[in-house]
Parts: sequence; structure tokens; C-alpha cells
Amino acid sequence: MRRFRAMNALDIEELEKRYPTGVEALRGVSLRIAPGELFGLLGPNGAGKSTLIHCTTGLAQPTGGTIQVFGHDAIGDYGPARQAVGLAPQEPNLDWFLTVEETLDYHAGYFGMPKRERRERTAELLETFSLTEKADERTRTLSGGMKRRLILARAMMHRPRLLILDEPTAGVDVELRLELWHYVQRINAEGTTILLTTHYLEEAEQLCDRIAFIDHGEIVGEGTSGELSARYGVDNLEDAYLTLVGRKELSRSHVPVEPETVP
Amino acid sequence: MNTAQIRFATLWRREVNRFMKIKKQTLGAPLLETFLYIMVFGAALGSRIKELHGIEYILFVIPGLIMMAWSINSFANNSSSILQQKFQGAIQDQLSSPASPLELLLAFSLGGFMRGLLVALLTFLAASLLVDLPVDHILVLIPALFLVGFFFSQLGVLIGVRAEQFDDVAFAQTFVLQPLIFLGGVFYSATLLPEPFSTLTHFNPLFYMINLVRYGFIGYSEVSVALSLLALTAATAALFLFNLRLFSRGYRLRA
Repeated sequence: MRRFRAMNALDIEELEKRYPTGVEALRGVSLRIAPGELFGLLGPNGAGKSTLIHCTTGLAQPTGGTIQVFGHDAIGDYGPARQAVGLAPQEPNLDWFLTVEETLDYHAGYFGMPKRERRERTAELLETFSLTEKADERTRTLSGGMKRRLILARAMMHRPRLLILDEPTAGVDVELRLELWHYVQRINAEGTTILLTTHYLEEAEQLCDRIAFIDHGEIVGEGTSGELSARYGVDNLEDAYLTLVGRKELSRSHVPVEPETVP
Repeated sequence: MNTAQIRFATLWRREVNRFMKIKKQTLGAPLLETFLYIMVFGAALGSRIKELHGIEYILFVIPGLIMMAWSINSFANNSSSILQQKFQGAIQDQLSSPASPLELLLAFSLGGFMRGLLVALLTFLAASLLVDLPVDHILVLIPALFLVGFFFSQLGVLIGVRAEQFDDVAFAQTFVLQPLIFLGGVFYSATLLPEPFSTLTHFNPLFYMINLVRYGFIGYSEVSVALSLLALTAATAALFLFNLRLFSRGYRLRA
């Protein structure tokens, strides 16, 4: 009898990306994310996180390997694969000519959502992300925090089953960060699978079910926060991360604590 | 509408919305420019030249100006729109959608096509107020104008995709397209030029387009209409297929 592997939300096999310049951004990455999981992808700048995300969403073209999104080949059967994915990119990439409301409406249109549904969904997300008052403003006039909210709302607009958040809390204030965390946890609890990249290890530790470390285009460790710490015989995720990326000397566990002196 | 139709309509709507939001620049400025050309070359210069090949000079010039308006605006719209979206990164929203390369290419093309059509139509209406502009061969005029508009829309897409900075778009428009249009015989007849310029003009593809449109309006052409129409159709189809290949490969759109 033929056996089928359970369908993953994201199934990446031996993914390679070599740029025309010769730079190998991904070197045989394999990764599986189960439906409903909140998965963290951590790694230093230039490790290959964004390239992996771009290959999954069609913004970059892999030079080897396969990507399946809920069983759909992200290259050969890109329509349903992309339909299932929502991307909130690291860099704000809003259209300067559009208003906040148009940004959401157009995005949903690109994903084939009918007009009435677009209108209702736009109103709902404007409310959720406290953007209703800004609905008619052009995107270029928004503050950094507002842009970040809008990017997340846009990614959610077509109700993706897999939401990819590329450093969603980079450069945002504490209040917004906590708001975003709550929202991410809520939609994950409602069944949306989430792939999160972040530089904040405590963020990954608190939010993610499983975590993978990526370095120089390769997955160098994978598991729960506890499993990763235990595997490398360290106290916390930060030390596990530093061990894996070869910067153990930066561990805060080794920094001697100076006694406080009164001037 | 089904999903694909909604997607395409939205992609196209975005392109039209962009130029309508800045209509002083995208519609007003080209209209004023064309109006000034008509005033200077038609009214002022025309009062001295009077006739070319037995045709009133202003009537000789206006078809070329209408073609020029459609072509330059189609080109400028698409090249700028694509480059701006690449520059902002906003194009990622469209590229990561389920839209096919064909849907993306057609939507980008039709944005410029629409802008060119609007400017050309308004130019035609404005010119009709000044002179009694005939339409002698409507069955040649309509396909000729549509092919010219679509050809330059495709050319705009190509330059927009290839461009890495605004200078690249400006270079193509100022140093390639405009000289070809001006030297293609918008304001004069190639038969009046001395050699070798008269012969050289026949190597300029814009010369054939201008003649086609002029034939459609006033029934005068210096080249074979059928052959020009055929060549223009072939060139437009070839450019479209070339662009489709670039979009399918993700050339300078997808890393």
C-alpha cells in the first residue's frame, strides 16, 4: 500500500539559492512546519532567513530543492501555494500612491477576493489594528509604527493559512510589540500557521512552539527552546544560539557582574 | 467575476488609479505640451508654410501629434510605474500574489495604454475645436493607433523592468524615443529632406507609425499602408512575447 506523508503547512526539501554573483544564500535547507504551528526562524544578518522567505513567496527563484505549501508546489503550482501565504516583510514596502484603505482593498483584490468581502474585511482589520482613523491617509504619511501595523493587516487581508512574519517587531516600541504579540498568538490559536523570524530571542522563546537556527544558508539546529538549550548544555536559548553560531564568548552568563558603586 | 478576473481587474485598476491621482502631471502636462505644439507648428508656422503635398500644414501635423501623445504617454507611464514600484518594493505585493506572468504583464501594459488613449482622445477633441479634422480611413486609423499604443506600452514595460534608476528611464525617453519621434516626420515630409536624410528616415520605425496614423486621418502616406500595418503588428507581437518571457523568468523582478 502506498503511504502518504502527513501534509505540512510548509515542507522545504534541500532548498538551494545561488545568486548570479555566485553567493550561496541557501545550501540545502530542509524544514517542516506542521499546520497550526508557530515556528521561529532565527539567525544572524545575512544567514538566509529572508531568502528562504522570498523563495517561499515567489519573490526569489530557488536554484535547487522543493517547497510545498499545504501540499502545493510553490514553483510549479504557485497559484494555490501563494494564495495560502501571507507575507509581512522586514522592510516596509507600501505603495506611496495608495491610501491605507486602498492598500488593504487592492491586496485582497490581487488575491481574488470579491468586492463585498473586501469591504467587510478591510473594515474589520482597520479596526483590529487601530487604523480606522487613518483609512483615507496616504501610506507615505504614516509613522513607522502605523506602517508596521498596516503591513501586518495587509498580510492578513486574504485570510492566509500560513502567515510569514519577517522581523515584525524590529524597531517598534514596547507597546506595539506587545500588541503584535497578542495578535500573533490570537490568530495562531485560531488556526493560522505562523513562520516568524526575529532577532529577539526572548520573543521567539515566548511565542514559538519550535525554533530553527539558520547560519550561512544552513539549518544548524532545530527543536523547542528547551530541547535546544539541553542539547548544547546551556541555560537558555540565547546561549544555545551563540554556541550554534560560534560566538559563545558573547554569552552574558560569562560576563562578571560588577558590584554597584556609590559615587 | 471569478477570482482571476477580480485579480486582473485590481491589477489594472491600480495602474489607472496611479496616474489619475497625479493627473496634473500625467494628463494635464502632456495636453498642454501637445496644445503648444499645435499652436506653434500649426497656427504660427502653418501660416507661413500653408500646404505640404497639397494638404493644409496644420492637418498634416495633427495626426503625428496625436500619435506622439499616445506613444510617449504609454511609454512614460509604464516605465515610471514599474520602476517606482520596484524602487518602493511595493511590487512585491503583486509578485507574491497568485497572479500569472501574463496577468501582470497585461495589467502593467494596459495602465499606460489607457493613459495614452486618454491623452490622445483629449488631444483629438482639442484639435477638432481648432480645425475640421477629417477621419478618412477609420479602419486603418483605429488598429494603427491601438497597435502604436500597445507597442509603446510594451516598450515602457521593458524599460521599466530593465531600469535600475530613474536616470535609465529618462535616458530612454529623452535620448532615444523623442529623437526618433521628432525625426520620424511628425512635423515634415521625408520627401522634402536632402539625401542621405530622406533615405535614413526610412530606417526609423516611427516614420511608418506616423504615416499609418496620418493615412487614417487625412488619407496621405509616404509608405505602403498594408506593409506598415503588418510590420507594426509583427513588431508589437514580438515585443509582447519578449516581455512575457522576461516576466515568466522573473527577470529583474524576482531575485
